Amino acid sequence: MHKHLLFAFSFASVLTAQSQDFGKAYSFEERKPRTRVEQVIDQRMPSIVKVHGASGLATISAYATGIIVSKQGHILTLDQVMIQKDRTRVVLYDGSVHQAQLLPEEPRFGVRLLKIDPALVNGELQPVWPPAEAEAQFRTGQFVVSLGNSFRLAEFSEKVSATFGVVVGRANTALRYRMADVKYDGDLILTDACNNPGQFGGGLFTLDGRWIGLNMKLLDSKETNTMVSAAIPTRDLLPYLEEHVLGKHTAEAVVNKPVPWTGIVLFERAGLQSPPAYVDRVITGSPADTLGLRPDDLVVRINDYSIRTCREFREVLGRFAAGETVQVTWKRGTKVQQASMVLASEPKK
Amino acid sequence: MNHFVRAIGVALVLGPALLSQRGTDPDEFEHLEPVLQAALAKAAPFVVAVETFGGTRTISGSEGPTDSDEPPAPRVPPKPAKKPENKPAEPKSEEPKPDEPKPDAPKPDEPKPAEPKPGEEGPPAPQPVPMPGSDPKPDENKPDEKEGDEDKPGKKKGLPLKAPGFQQTLGKTTGIVLTADGWILVSRFALNLEPTTILITVPGRGTFHAQRAGEDTSRGIALVKIDATDLPVPEFVHPANVKIGQWAFALGRTFATEEPTVHIGIVSAQRRVFGRALQIDAYTSPANYGGPVVDVHGRVLGMAVPLSPAGRNAGVEWYDSGIGFAVTIADIPHLIERMQKGQVLQRGWLGVQFESSFLGPGAKISSTPKDGVAAKVGMRKGDVILEVDGVAVMNGPHFQMLVSSHLGGDSITIKIRQDEGAEPVVMGPLVLLDAPWSEQKQKKDTDLPASFSLPEKK
Repeated sequence: MHKHLLFAFSFASVLTAQSQDFGKAYSFEERKPRTRVEQVIDQRMPSIVKVHGASGLATISAYATGIIVSKQGHILTLDQVMIQKDRTRVVLYDGSVHQAQLLPEEPRFGVRLLKIDPALVNGELQPVWPPAEAEAQFRTGQFVVSLGNSFRLAEFSEKVSATFGVVVGRANTALRYRMADVKYDGDLILTDACNNPGQFGGGLFTLDGRWIGLNMKLLDSKETNTMVSAAIPTRDLLPYLEEHVLGKHTAEAVVNKPVPWTGIVLFERAGLQSPPAYVDRVITGSPADTLGLRPDDLVVRINDYSIRTCREFREVLGRFAAGETVQVTWKRGTKVQQASMVLASEPKK
Repeated sequence: MNHFVRAIGVALVLGPALLSQRGTDPDEFEHLEPVLQAALAKAAPFVVAVETFGGTRTISGSEGPTDSDEPPAPRVPPKPAKKPENKPAEPKSEEPKPDEPKPDAPKPDEPKPAEPKPGEEGPPAPQPVPMPGSDPKPDENKPDEKEGDEDKPGKKKGLPLKAPGFQQTLGKTTGIVLTADGWILVSRFALNLEPTTILITVPGRGTFHAQRAGEDTSRGIALVKIDATDLPVPEFVHPANVKIGQWAFALGRTFATEEPTVHIGIVSAQRRVFGRALQIDAYTSPANYGGPVVDVHGRVLGMAVPLSPAGRNAGVEWYDSGIGFAVTIADIPHLIERMQKGQVLQRGWLGVQFESSFLGPGAKISSTPKDGVAAKVGMRKGDVILEVDGVAVMNGPHFQMLVSSHLGGDSITIKIRQDEGAEPVVMGPLVLLDAPWSEQKQKKDTDLPASFSLPEKK
């Protein structure tokens, strides 16, 4: 039933689109917005585009959503394998299809800029830009509208889907590092406005119209056995956007991390299970020795990272570099203690 | 303010019908946002993070974690922290060896599975079943435990290659401060793995080592004690003051440190799970199990727990499903007291089954399992139970409601007609047994019929 309806709508809009202005190709007259939610959707919908790429693989959909970020035709989207040179097309709000040129990706976030030729656009593009630093803040409990092409439902000039939800929370790296497929290292916006396939690359907007997040793919949380919808805060994307859209260059030094060393030898038996991170011995003169760690202490946390097993201890330690200072929390008897430790490099034998 | 917010709640429930009416404020969410954030700010201080270490990962049944064959034994209530806890009578204690405050303590025998509990014949060991393929980590099964298990007749020692269900994760969970002097209410879900160490992080106050106390398996809640004072205590709302349709915000600590995460919804129903819980439509999952479900004032309506409608632990299929349960707390101070003493509370069990074809009035017994209370006091097949504690029994499901709302150890008085045409006799008070553990394993035993036709009026 719904499929038929959709088909009928798109057919109708094809017939009437020719004679109508930019943004009006949608074939019905709509009433004026009455609520903030409606306003935000009306205000931001023209900045959202559909991105179609090469045919998808089993787990990678061939479609996504993008956001127009400049009048010169820059479009931000989530970087997908399906995005290929010469085969990536963008469908604007009016239903017009444009060949997109690929700009360098931002591997740290897994996002990429596309560029279309503004000369070929009927009318003017309506870009949206991340809000200034203070406004870009998001809070748990903020209501949000997510715009994106869920399941490629929107054909031709049909609008993408709008979903409503709330900022569920702010997840920092330490709390979500067991989630699959997250390259990005900073805080994430968790939301219950669901990121169905196709919704990713779309925007997350507050009720006053601020663009606070770029939707990610649905994340698989090993912490909870649940799927989690998240968005990258737009303020974190600013340096990348500024560099490639505004031409500002920010030098980013790539540093090779020296491997950190604590001097803790854990009590770990060969076997199937990685046991909790009990200290077996502490190397004299090591950072752990300076801290006063002793055999039989249980290391439970490094910074905000829970250390539940010896394996996690190594994984988490690998996220830091020698010379960095971390907060180590351990349990001795029934006392929980915390202190900072300056990670060292492993001494040469 | 209260009324205003309630009005908003009602507007949302009635949805489009009200929105289209003139005179209704259509911008309810804009007004709700500050209310939600104020509730969040008020609740945040008493929402604590629960981390567990050690323990045994087990495979859960398709309907969620199943429990071991034996009911859990009572626990030793936590002692004041000043005294070092040398509890010889408590091998399955809250702490393994390294926790004894001796600097030269011997090597921890970690990881250690749950040891046999005192006063039980046979090790009840939760069945460790690693699930190859489901988790790349080849952990979770300890050699020493395996050995113990192999001796046990009836235990599956071979591990199914494809176990049904899922593996419980080790993730951080949530808890609620119950009293200022360190009693913390957590979800029993968090302790399913029988962890050897439990740590509670109170926002702004640091991390504390927790000792395990009693639990209520019928509610899915457990108590732990930390050595702290002056903790921020929430206000608990009595379920009698809860209205279906009012806002319900489910808070969690799994993914957030500074502020808890929030999922919003409404109270969908009251007195679920035999009068023990509210049903809410806010998403609940391990991301917020054990966390409070608060109202617009940040008062606690209940604790989100993984119960499924049949009353068992909920599995993945109930995560984020829009069907969540929040166990009410304000109405069970007497049970909290028992849990503080280390008691393990379970659903009560009389030991009768009913003829479903008998539509009442009363409940006709079809069988009485021989270990049950009913069999021991002489109830037989064909008897009709007419009253429970003075309440006239309409039919079998009604009787089940009346009994299942009790816990093991509670007493009930029953009026029963034992022979056709005979005078009813009163039996009791009868002390209910704990529900046999297998009851929670077998779906058919616990499920109520989906519908039950009421007797026609004569």
